[in-house]
Amino acid sequence: MIKLKINSQSIEIPKGTTVLEAARKLGINIPTMCHLEGTEHFTSCMVCLVKDAGNGRLLASCSMPAMDGMEIITDDAECLESRRVSLELLLSEHVGDCEAPCQLVCPARMNIPLMNRLIASGNFSKAIEVVKRDIALPAILGRICPAPCEAGCRRKSIDEAVSICLLKGFAADNELTTNKHSVASSSNSGRKVAIIGAGPAGLAAAFYLSKADHSISIFEKNEKAGGDLLKIEETVLPANIREIEIQTILNSGVAIQYQTEIDKVRFTELQQNFDAVILATGAMNGAMEEWGLTLSKSGIEVDKKTYQTILPKVFAIGNALRPSKLAVRSVGQGKELAHLLDEYFKNDVLHALPERFNSKFGKLIETEYVTYLKESNTNKRVDASGGKAHGFSSEEAVAEAKRCLHCDCRNPESCKLRALADEFGAVQKRFQYDDRVLVEKEFVSKKIVYEPNKCIKCGICVRLTKQHQEAFGFSFIGRGFDVRIGVPFSESIEKALEKTAVLVAEKCPTGALALLDSEEQL
Amino acid sequence: MAEDLQHIHKQVDEIISNRGRTKKSLIPILQDIQRHFNYLPEEALQYLVEQSEITPENITSVATFYSQFRMKPAGRHMIKVCVGTACHVKGAMQVYDSFKRHFKLNDNDLTDITGTYTLEKVACLGCCTLAPVVQVDDVTYGHVTSDKVESVIADFESQVGKRGDRKQFRNADGSEFQGEIRIGLGSCCVASGSEEVKREVENTIIGTGINLQLKNVGCVGMCHQVPLLEVIDEKQNHKLYAKVKPNEVSGIINSHFKPKSLLGRLKAKGYSFLEKMQSDESWEGVERYALDVREDMVSGFLDRQLPVATEHRGVINPLDMDEYRSHGGFEALTKVLGMDRQELIQTVKESGLRGRGGAGFLTGLKWEFVEKEKAEHKYLICNGDEGDPGAFMDRMILESYPYRVIEGMLIAAYAVEATEGYFYIRAEYPLAVIRIRQALINCREQNLLGENILGSNFSFDMQIYEGAGAFVCGEETALMTSIEGNRGFPTIRPPFPAQKGLWGFPTLINNTETFAQISYIIRNGKEQYCSIGTEQSKGTKVFSLAGKINRGGLIEVPMGITIREIVEEVGGGVQNGKKFKAVQVGGPSGGCIPASLADTPIDYQSLTAVGAMMGSGGLVVLDEDDCMVDIARYFLSFTQNESCGKCTFCRIGTKRMLDILNRICSGKGTLKDLDELKYLAEWTKKGSLCNLGKSAPNPILTTLKYFHEEYEAHLEGRCPAGKCTEMISYTITDDCIGCTKCAQKCPVDAIKFEAHKKHSINTELCIKCDACRPVCPVDAVKVL
Repeated sequence: MIKLKINSQSIEIPKGTTVLEAARKLGINIPTMCHLEGTEHFTSCMVCLVKDAGNGRLLASCSMPAMDGMEIITDDAECLESRRVSLELLLSEHVGDCEAPCQLVCPARMNIPLMNRLIASGNFSKAIEVVKRDIALPAILGRICPAPCEAGCRRKSIDEAVSICLLKGFAADNELTTNKHSVASSSNSGRKVAIIGAGPAGLAAAFYLSKADHSISIFEKNEKAGGDLLKIEETVLPANIREIEIQTILNSGVAIQYQTEIDKVRFTELQQNFDAVILATGAMNGAMEEWGLTLSKSGIEVDKKTYQTILPKVFAIGNALRPSKLAVRSVGQGKELAHLLDEYFKNDVLHALPERFNSKFGKLIETEYVTYLKESNTNKRVDASGGKAHGFSSEEAVAEAKRCLHCDCRNPESCKLRALADEFGAVQKRFQYDDRVLVEKEFVSKKIVYEPNKCIKCGICVRLTKQHQEAFGFSFIGRGFDVRIGVPFSESIEKALEKTAVLVAEKCPTGALALLDSEEQL
Repeated sequence: MAEDLQHIHKQVDEIISNRGRTKKSLIPILQDIQRHFNYLPEEALQYLVEQSEITPENITSVATFYSQFRMKPAGRHMIKVCVGTACHVKGAMQVYDSFKRHFKLNDNDLTDITGTYTLEKVACLGCCTLAPVVQVDDVTYGHVTSDKVESVIADFESQVGKRGDRKQFRNADGSEFQGEIRIGLGSCCVASGSEEVKREVENTIIGTGINLQLKNVGCVGMCHQVPLLEVIDEKQNHKLYAKVKPNEVSGIINSHFKPKSLLGRLKAKGYSFLEKMQSDESWEGVERYALDVREDMVSGFLDRQLPVATEHRGVINPLDMDEYRSHGGFEALTKVLGMDRQELIQTVKESGLRGRGGAGFLTGLKWEFVEKEKAEHKYLICNGDEGDPGAFMDRMILESYPYRVIEGMLIAAYAVEATEGYFYIRAEYPLAVIRIRQALINCREQNLLGENILGSNFSFDMQIYEGAGAFVCGEETALMTSIEGNRGFPTIRPPFPAQKGLWGFPTLINNTETFAQISYIIRNGKEQYCSIGTEQSKGTKVFSLAGKINRGGLIEVPMGITIREIVEEVGGGVQNGKKFKAVQVGGPSGGCIPASLADTPIDYQSLTAVGAMMGSGGLVVLDEDDCMVDIARYFLSFTQNESCGKCTFCRIGTKRMLDILNRICSGKGTLKDLDELKYLAEWTKKGSLCNLGKSAPNPILTTLKYFHEEYEAHLEGRCPAGKCTEMISYTITDDCIGCTKCAQKCPVDAIKFEAHKKHSINTELCIKCDACRPVCPVDAVKVL
């Protein structure tokens, strides 16, 4: 038996145990990517470096055998920095998008490619579910949104952007017409939130907070909910659509008082009676300064990450912060604040929602169009034959959704590179000094996709194909920076992975090898 | 096509029957296939899979890892431009570019349109004193400049038909010994034409009746003077001639020896020889190069040296075993056989000998570790994978002292009870392979290898393993996995080779030079060895001294000698009266030590203290014309190219550092780049898996430390040494006499041909190839 200390905790383990295994026995987590139980260790990714306190050297814990008397540190500043640097080096050559550009530019961060794929496959009910994770008023926005997402759509550089906005409207209309309205939840968290103003921002906040079982009371000065939406012409936004969609939110257990002006006194009362007060009042009102709030030129001053005003219980969203014509921004803020408050109610600390790490590689260049079109077709953008206010028919929607290029990664949740980049605060651009290489995608047997430029050269797939005695299998090709994983001779990947295609895709630590129909965010 | 396939199958069958059908034979098999087909045809590889236990994955991963292997056919002749350190500082890249222009090649296709020549860069041919060096097939050309491309090709083509037409030396009757002529046959000597000189000696004395012994000796070390010819006359007077040309040979011989008869004279070379006998004309040319051992130049080179690993240099014919024996060869082995192993190891330990491969681990201790292990098999490996550009010690030692290395290995094998041994020799050293192969055969005949060596109960044999072109295989774990038939990926240590080495058995790996020092220690005693060197670094160190130095070559000096002593006394100072700027010690793992630290003694601690390391022993002298940022970039592009590509810090870290250096050298660097460079250098050092990556940043860190102002100048768009082409331009001053030489040399017509007028350079067209500058008789071409 071998005795050693890891982060000052003693442990005794049999000879031959690695430092990583010993640490795991102590419940100390050390990240790894190239290591896979059941295959021999390889020591390539180097995110598992730990420090030997004896000599100050960094060691790869995944393969370093534990030795008697060792004192290992896994979590000091230098170890953590080593993880960040190795991740940043790996990211500097990682050509791939975790999320599609359209999603990243959408103020509400809606998962557009997933919606597109669901519509394309005819799964409309799932599509609207995905839409509503981020957008509380999709039928309305499907008609009035200026669609910044379409400006970010990669398809735009090939011919025309995918008609995302109409697709979202289609998914929403489809649900409205099938009358699958949401029903008030029976459980209650006991937390109460007052929302002042029933415009897009207030409604969105109400929708998500109520979904999270908090009690919502909206105070609306007009006799109708909708705020600025009420000003939009019928030809653009038919009133019935607006009303049904708003009503659906209000029906989900949200209390609303119309024609209720809030003054300073009411405002103070609200703060006393509610756990949080959300100002979704639209354009600001000079009197608010007297309420104890601070104002900037454009609106109420808030913490940019938490929407918290100078008054601890009071939050502000939407046009109350800054006048904007983008209803989608207000809707997005409503959602964000709702999630934030939900966390706050659960943990009693107010934290900004973490910004997830996103690998990005920028614009497609012309030679890459072919690669991206492999996942799509070359059809022209479909127009809604009945006009935008009417929206797509099912056939039109399916046809249009199929134009989506699947720019997002297939493994956005299981990717260890992304998760660790998040955990250690890695910055992708840190060491990106060189021009990026071209995107490549190879589709194998309609089962898996190989994107070599997302590969971290950990060799797990090489070890697995060898272990399963593939006739060809994967092999390292070349050496140094240019080393890549490929197939021996001029064989196809199909031939190389006769037995292990699914296995290697499942075990790949990034999105370099992925199952073709992987939908981790469903 | 079917016939082709049949031919391929037949060849592969034959190769497999010679080499075996398991993975460990993979690299030799691929080498044989390539030798035969000039590349690796896929049909051959597929057939190999069918006929052996080797998998497609084995083949692809190995064939694409080692730079020796080609997957596409190459031209009939290979032009290898050496881009080792010494060649680099003397303009190898310009030579390379010049070949590219000559054959109109682009980076994607380096075979000329007729399929005759393929151009490639090689890391180092180990002929640093002849820099810049180009090899066309097996003919080596030294001092090639960018304007000599055509003459190299012309000379090669005039040679091609004559290959194999070598006149044999005919021994004289032997009744009367008139003297001896020694000719150096190290790679440098051969490359500089010693074969031709030797042939000329043979031709000259055929039938003259002059009774001479013509003797081939190994490297004398004075590579700056090659080819060397030493004449020992009847009175045992020695006279050494340097830089001998074939047409000067008859003159030399004539001055020492007289033909025995008039008939002999006439039979000899007819009138020309007689004429030369009576004329001084050809003699003068030679006199210029004639050296007397007593002269300062030679004594300066030799006096400060202390040959241990290179004992009896220039005296012994490398393969003559009797001669080796007559100089005490194999005495140490005889003494050791039967000796107590612990005592032997203790002797080596107490001698203070440390590994000469670079890291400097105590040799005796390493032996002790292996000895202690109990195992059915134990292996012994001689690491001759000398990959550092600018280093050629191992090559010289293997070529010139094969028996000494073998003796050292036998002693080590006895000490640790090894059962089998390997010589791992890099592919670029064919002569070393030939010599060792023959030496092993000779040793077997003499029962120095095999069963019951010299009647003892100790049995041991060894074989050669030719590397296939990967610097990283100098790292011991990579080297072993390479012998096993894999890519040269290093693995984490522990387990150390002493516990789990080749095929999982305890293995002792020592460097060539380390083995070459053993017999001296045993013969002369640890005390005598200990008395050489410093407190912590005992004995001598062999260096290959090259670069901007007057007398480059293989030198062996006691530890503790200072850099200044080496440069000024041994090397005779910097060439052409230029200012000594720095020495690069230890190749890509080492660092640049500035002239201001020239009094640093050469020992393990002192070199590490200044940020360099002993490395395997390359010493490249740099002068004021060398750009230190360019040197750092040069080494980094080497390590980046040679990184095995396994661990993140080395694979990507070296690339990113190179990106920054490229930016700085092109004048686009910023102050932040220097911080980032340092940051990356430190992390690559800390985080890399093996010593290649851990030491790769040393050239950057030392130049940043000692030549920071040069980096700053580059940030301002200036390259003080005038090397970084993107920051310089060429111009012609008013000194121009209108001789048109520059215009004739310009490959891109950037200089207009105007006789008797002042020339000028069109900077738009100029490719900065530097062809015009050296030809100007009045130094009117300037770099701005």
